[in-house]
Amino acid sequence: MGAISLDADGKSVVNQDECVECATCHRVLKNEGYPPWFVRAIRKALFFFKLGHLADFDLCPTGALTPPELTWPRILRAQFSNPTVVHPGTGVPGRGTDEIKSNDVTGRLRQGEAGLVIEIGRPGLGAFFREIEKVAMALAPLAPLYEQENPVTHLISDFKTGKMKNGILDEKVISAIIELKIGMERIPEFLRALEKVQHEIDTVISVGVASRCLPDGTIAHEEWVQKAGYPLSPNGKTNLGLGKPRFGEDGP
Amino acid sequence: MTNTLHRQGEIESLKHDYIIFVHTAKGRNREGSAEKTREFMRICKQYQPVNMGDVKQGSVLQDDIAFEGLLATMGDGTVAAAVFADIDTLQEVIEELIRADLGLCINISGLLDEVRECCRKAGITRHSAEHSLGIWGAKDRLPEREVMEFNTMCGHGMVSFNLIRKMIEQVRLRRMTPKQAARMMAKCCECGAFNPARAEALLDRMCSRGFLRSAARGGAPGIF
Repeated sequence: MGAISLDADGKSVVNQDECVECATCHRVLKNEGYPPWFVRAIRKALFFFKLGHLADFDLCPTGALTPPELTWPRILRAQFSNPTVVHPGTGVPGRGTDEIKSNDVTGRLRQGEAGLVIEIGRPGLGAFFREIEKVAMALAPLAPLYEQENPVTHLISDFKTGKMKNGILDEKVISAIIELKIGMERIPEFLRALEKVQHEIDTVISVGVASRCLPDGTIAHEEWVQKAGYPLSPNGKTNLGLGKPRFGEDGP
Repeated sequence: MTNTLHRQGEIESLKHDYIIFVHTAKGRNREGSAEKTREFMRICKQYQPVNMGDVKQGSVLQDDIAFEGLLATMGDGTVAAAVFADIDTLQEVIEELIRADLGLCINISGLLDEVRECCRKAGITRHSAEHSLGIWGAKDRLPEREVMEFNTMCGHGMVSFNLIRKMIEQVRLRRMTPKQAARMMAKCCECGAFNPARAEALLDRMCSRGFLRSAARGGAPGIF
């Protein structure tokens, strides 16, 4: 994000607009515990002699960075950006959901259905909720079935229009996933809608598509994605089907 | 979480990048899953993964996380992962997990055809699969594809473009070895999905081929 910089006095400052509250700086950096005045004095002395100190990259000499206590709506930044924070809507850490990871026991996606995961802001750029809303509004006219256990779904106030809750649009997160369940034959239609809206946002989108495999292990959605003219990755995620109790396709 | 789905790189590089992880579903197989997840981790550990972790505790490459401590703090519903750098080892792990019959949902991220072949050899048929359709939108804002290869190994986005550039620069100036730089990047990844062996190989490749030669951005899914 490039959210941390030095001010004119040589003190670290965090750009609060850009910071997504992922707390990586706090988790990864070891605090050496030196007093700030001491570190600044040493740096100034070294600078005077045109010298510098090449410290290890995972050290913070003064422990300058401390995650703040967050309140609504800024707390959304941490919930979507810090993978160690449990999201209240899903009960699991991070911004994600189960998608196919437990499909063998839940039957979340059944034969003939496809899951679309549209992750706005990934990789690495982050996204404001106003950009996430633009994507949601572009997909809303197609009347998708939003995944109920997805944290973005909880923030959509009107599913007919894709409008999100008031007061959150200026919050930035490292990424957020719109997750939909659709009929396999509707994959091209949704990808075309995404194709259009991708040019209206100033960030990136990582798109994924998932489905229950056919009895011989063939991936059913491949045909529909290829028909629509989009390339598929050679790598991806596979649920081995070892979960128990196994969901019966004709079950509840 | 799609945190392992969008890894990018050349096929030859992706052949050394397989993440196996467990998941559970509330009301189905989550309750009482902690000990089974520990057993999953013990089995993976026997085959010397290049990284392991769970998102609640962190990865074994972090300074304050030891394997036994990681196991001790696991609870029901922990999403635990291990990374392997070759398909033959992964095959052995899958076969042992089938024998262990833990009842957990076990997933693998990696080259789909190779994983399918692993399933076939182990006598199972894969249940569900997910593809990446690549990166869309403002791809002009993304850095060189070499940087993307490192960044996409941590789907939570904890290994920033800036840190990756810094590490590449340190290796280029011989202030760090590829191994040290790879380890530094891996420490930022909270869930243990980052592959430090592949990162080291990518840095080694840069040392011989040249640093940040690519101007291409974004690219097609998986391969450029």
